[in-house]
Order: sequence, then structure tokens, then C-alpha cells
Amino acid sequence: MIPRYQRILFWSLALAILLMAAFLLHGCQQAREKLNRQQNQTPLAAPADTPPQTVHLAMASDADGSITLSDRQLALPSDPSSRARALLAQLIAEYSYKNSAHPLASGPAISDVFLVDLPIKPAVSSNPAEHAAATSASPAASALPYTPGGQLAVINLSAAFVDHHPSGIEVESLTINSIVGTLFANFSRIEQVRFVVDGQPRDTLAGHADLTRTYQAINTATAGGAQ
Amino acid sequence: MTLTRTHAAVLLVAIASAAVAAFSIHAQTQPQTPPQPSVPATAAPPSQVPQPLLRPTPPQPARAVIFLDPAHGGPEAGASLGNNVAEKDAVLAFAQRLRAALTSANFTVLATRDSELAAPLPTDQRAEAANRSHALACLVIHATASGSGVHLYTSTLPPAPATDTSNPSSPQDAATTPFTPIPWETAQASYVEQSRKLSDILKATLAKSSLPALAGSAPLRPLDNLMCPAVAIEIAPNSASISAAEPTYQQQIVVAVANALQLWRDQNTGAAR
Repeated sequence: MIPRYQRILFWSLALAILLMAAFLLHGCQQAREKLNRQQNQTPLAAPADTPPQTVHLAMASDADGSITLSDRQLALPSDPSSRARALLAQLIAEYSYKNSAHPLASGPAISDVFLVDLPIKPAVSSNPAEHAAATSASPAASALPYTPGGQLAVINLSAAFVDHHPSGIEVESLTINSIVGTLFANFSRIEQVRFVVDGQPRDTLAGHADLTRTYQAINTATAGGAQ
Repeated sequence: MTLTRTHAAVLLVAIASAAVAAFSIHAQTQPQTPPQPSVPATAAPPSQVPQPLLRPTPPQPARAVIFLDPAHGGPEAGASLGNNVAEKDAVLAFAQRLRAALTSANFTVLATRDSELAAPLPTDQRAEAANRSHALACLVIHATASGSGVHLYTSTLPPAPATDTSNPSSPQDAATTPFTPIPWETAQASYVEQSRKLSDILKATLAKSSLPALAGSAPLRPLDNLMCPAVAIEIAPNSASISAAEPTYQQQIVVAVANALQLWRDQNTGAAR
């Protein structure tokens, strides 16, 4: 037989538990409503569903010093600078894979890619007289049509990538030609390529390949590399 | 009786005077011959050519100059070739071996460095020294731990259009030909074709010696600044166990390169004739 005072205590505790549970639920609801009121109501841009597309990577091989174009299916941003950066990041990442033909250290390699419009060039006329007029400073030259120039791609390499890059003429030239060839194969407007390291100019990539010059964007798969 | 210092001095002066007199009398008794030009200006008919009594020695051609540029040096070590061997030491050893082989083949060899440097040598100074040498060939020597065989590189510059301003047809042309400065950054453009021919000869000679060779172009300083047929030779490991610093492997390459340069000299002196 349970004593009376124990039954009173039991029901009192049960009632206190229920009251505390109700208080907690009420507090949670108030906190949720408070957070909802403070929430930024600015609409977010919905993520664009970019479908994978075919890109061309100029893949280097140390064995024979060759560069061959290889197709990949990648989903890339639409912004040209971000697109170029993502493409080159993918290129360097593939070189860090096991059994790579051009092994490089893994890690972030491309900090930024800046695309700069080159100065507008005068249109080249097939008529020599018009071409001479276009190249002169005569008022008639201003009447000739102009075509927009291409772009200069300034590639900002990370210092960690450059410091850990293998040293040698062949291996450094292949890296340069691979980057230039990949940009040429995917960006028709890029005409020139320059390199900086952490935003600063540097003489060489790893003691050999010249980083101070402006590289012409050409098809390095056929024109560059050792034959 | 003892000789004093005065007596000894008088005796020495007398002996010297007698020697001078004897030498002058001997010189006056020799027949006077006009100085002979080293190379006859025009070809005379055979009947008018005086036949010397002794067979004349053929005129010695000027020794061909080969310029070697062992890369790096000083605090600039270059690539690590393994076993604590730096590229600067391997290329210096190779250059010294090549110098010995070329000297024995009657070349004059000049180099940017024959020993370790205290301070790094800029590429512009290397190019300046090479351009002053007026070399028959300039070889820039590198070594690496990646790849295999011997890599031969020429400049990436496009060949300059053929304008023969160095050999005007007449003195009047030479006087009226305007001086055209050569841009430093593209000084190699006039020599790119010759550099590629030299690279082809080197590649063929290395192949004959069973040494795998790759040839191409590379953005490497100071290749673009050299005013001579210039090739960069990069020594890569021959196999996994034979590094670029291996003496016997280097000696194999030295022999092949020396043979190629002799062939290059024969072709150029033949073309000059």
C-alpha cells in the first residue's frame, strides 16, 4: 500500500514535468519565430544547372615531350574568367593523378585568371591603298572599320605550385605549353598569355622556363613541345 | 791580385759590346727578302708562280670557337638530380669534359664559368659574353631528373626574314646601308635556322651513339639573346638507374656532341669556301 504522501509527491512531480515540457515547447516556438523574423529575406540566385560540355585539355607527356588534345565533359561556370580558372585547375589536377604522364604536385595551382581586352586593332584591308591609309594618321583612316582585338589572359599561379614544380627545361616548357594550348583550344578570343606568381612577376617557373615574356596563344599540340 | 768590382763591371760591358757587334754583323750578311703576303691577292698563272725550294706549310685556318654555358652556379643550384647532386655541379662537370674533347679536336673553347661561382651570373651577362666570342656554336648546358635521354632545344623565335646586310656587294653599298640595331630580345632570330640545323646534326649524332634525343623549342633564357647558332642541351637520365650526373653517361654524350660539332665545323667551313 503506497502511502498518501508518496502519491501526492508523484503526481506533483509528474505535473511539474508536464509544465516544464510545455514551457520548453513554447520557448522553442518563440525562438523559431524570432529567427524567422531576423532572417535575411533577400532572394538568393538559384544555382544554374549548367550541363556538362565538351572541353579540350592539352595534355603533356614527359616521355616523348608531346602535347595532345584530349576531350573532357565538364560543367563550367559561364563567366569567362571563372571558366578559364576552373578549366586550368582541372588541367593541373589531372597532372597530380597517379600514373600521370606529366606528374606535378597536387594542390591549388591557379589562383586567378584575369582576361584583359587588348587594344582595338585597325581592320586589315585587302586593298593595299586602303591598308596604307589605315596605317597612316590621315583622317581617312578613321573612316575605316575597326575590329575588336583579342584578350590577354593573365594567369596568377600560386607560389606553392611554382615552388614545388619539377625543375627542367622540358618539364617546365610542357607545363607552359599545356596551359597555353588549353586556353587556345577553349577560348577563341585569347591571343596572349602572361604569368604571375602570387600577383608578382617571376623570372622563371622553376629555374628554366621564362615567365617574363608574353606568350602567344597558339596550338601547342602541333607547334610546341619536343618532336 | 784580386778583382775589384770596377774590374768586373768593365769586363761585363766589354763582353756585351762584343756580343752586340757580332749579332749586327751576322744580320747584315743575310739576304734581304720582301715580306710575303700570307694569302695571295690574285691567282697568278702557274708559270709565273715562283717555286719555293721548301714545301710551304698550308695556311692555318682560324680555330673555330665553341662557347659553352654551364647553367646556374653559385647560390642558384638548379634542379636536384638525386643523391645530393645539384644541376649546377653536373653541368659544370659535363662542360669540363666537353671542353677537353673539343680542345683535342682543335676547337677554341670559351665558357661562362669553369668553376663554382660566388654569385649568380645573370643570363644577360652570359649572352653578352657569348656574343663577344663570335662563336661557331653556342651550347647552353642543363640537366634534369625528369624525362629521359638528351633534350635539344632551340629558340622559340620565328626566323627573321632573309636580309643579307652583312655582306654588301660593294663598298658604296656598305657605306649607304643604314645601320639597323638588333633588338636584344630577338637577337637570335637571325640565327634560328642555323640553330635548328645544328640541333638536327646533334640529334642525328646522338642517335648514332644509341642515345635517345628529343629536339624542340623552349622559352629559355638566354637563347633568344644569343647571336650565334645556339642549342640548349638538357641531359636527362638515361634510365632509372643512370642519372644525368653519371660520368660514363656524360662521356658518351660528350663524344657524340664533339663529333657533331666537328661535322658542323666541316659544313660551315665548306660553305665558306
